[in-house]
Amino acid sequence: MLSPTIPSRPRYSPFALAPAARAHLIVAERSDALENQSVPTGDHAPLEFWAVSGDCRAPVGDTILNGVHTCHFRSASHLLSRLSYRLAIEAIGLHLYVIGTESFIWDVVKLAKQFGMNSDEYHLTHRGSEKRRVYCIHCKTMTDDVTTNIAICAGCGANLLVRDHFSKRLSAFMGVQVDAEVAGEVPAIEEVYP
Amino acid sequence: MNEARTLNLRVQKAELISPSLKHVVLESADRSPLPSVGAGSHIRLSLCENNKKFRNAYSIAAAADDRSAYEIIVRRVEPSRGGSAFIHNTIKAGQTIEADYPGNLFPPSFTAQKHLLISAGIGITPFLSYLSYLRRTQAEVRLHHFCRLDELETFRRLLQPYSTGEVYLHPNSTKIDVANLLQSHPLGTHLYVCGPEKFMETVLGAAKTLHWPSSKLHSESFGGSHAGGAPFVAVLARSGIEVKVGEDQTLLEAIEAAGVEPPSLCRGGACGQCLTEIIDGRPEHRDHYLSPEEHNAGRAMMICVSRAKGNRITLDL
Repeated sequence: MLSPTIPSRPRYSPFALAPAARAHLIVAERSDALENQSVPTGDHAPLEFWAVSGDCRAPVGDTILNGVHTCHFRSASHLLSRLSYRLAIEAIGLHLYVIGTESFIWDVVKLAKQFGMNSDEYHLTHRGSEKRRVYCIHCKTMTDDVTTNIAICAGCGANLLVRDHFSKRLSAFMGVQVDAEVAGEVPAIEEVYP
Repeated sequence: MNEARTLNLRVQKAELISPSLKHVVLESADRSPLPSVGAGSHIRLSLCENNKKFRNAYSIAAAADDRSAYEIIVRRVEPSRGGSAFIHNTIKAGQTIEADYPGNLFPPSFTAQKHLLISAGIGITPFLSYLSYLRRTQAEVRLHHFCRLDELETFRRLLQPYSTGEVYLHPNSTKIDVANLLQSHPLGTHLYVCGPEKFMETVLGAAKTLHWPSSKLHSESFGGSHAGGAPFVAVLARSGIEVKVGEDQTLLEAIEAAGVEPPSLCRGGACGQCLTEIIDGRPEHRDHYLSPEEHNAGRAMMICVSRAKGNRITLDL
């Protein structure tokens, strides 16, 4: 579980279905996101589980796994693309559950908000690595999968200090050039976001 | 926060639009521009009859673009607490009326992609201002209005300027299942309800059953429905006085009549300003501000609308 360092850091909760919904849609960054989780099906609302397999050879499409309507996608982009078509035709009463790393969570939330969902309609569970997506405040480039306190910007090559300031709008942490005063004066690089 | 500045208004026009509905146009008495108001705003008028003072809030149904006037529509309520009878019997064009600065406890959502408005009777008034605002936005709008058969024509005329396929009038004589109106709306839909208390309970109850999230439910009740009840005595512990609350006045009005001025704002049980701690006695909650848990705990109450259960209550005032 992530421990918030500054008050504005988003907080996440363990996975649990909302007590009442017209329908439940769970989207996960990994297909094993629900392992060792019992998905209660007593509630009569339909439930679907969408997950990224991350494998170009794995079968994609709809199946029933352990009694749950399951759909696998080749990548997060593949899932997000399908999700936008789905949310466009969905109706009030849907609850959305997002399970994954922080950048995946907020990519889904951004889409949900675009379709008018409010925070009492989506539920966020952090699962997996704490690696960060970093936004270079200088050149606007996103650098993914950062696990260190200092990252090299994929756009302009700057040494970026990865701040704890997280933007929900950009689904990324702010990265600020750390050696702006004296070029090359960079603190020791450590792995801090495993 | 209790010292809202006052506005001096002059009645420009007052005319009956049905046997019990009066349309009143209020202009700025000194012709200075009135505060601009957003959709869903209300104005509280200070009315006086037979040395009795009333401060009733009315939705602003329309506001002139040049900020010269506000329009309200007032239903004569039987029995009247005074305000509606005063507006129906006494006021005439040319007369001046004092009012508080307008407030807004019922604004439309600015992020909604679709607005579903459901009103009954005189509950249409905030939605008249909604309609004129929302038609200038991209969002979809649908209004369902319920009214008495004999007022159908009156409301049809009121709504005519906005008439598109998305305005539906339902005379009470036809049975409509409210749940049907609430089904299959896109995710970005917000629901707004205004009308008598029972009507709002029915619509909001149906919405909850259909799993509408509470962040997308908006409602406003009229002050009138809260007023009155069995008389009781309020003991103000800090002031050391006892206040008799009559059956036709609110607890807040009785406290003010006794010379104590607790903070208050909306007088409709919505804003939370007049939250008062209870030292002894049980409240009869009528507000929309406190949660069900807080209602059950009974440690605090909104004195603008809530009353005592029993004949005595002691307050930290």
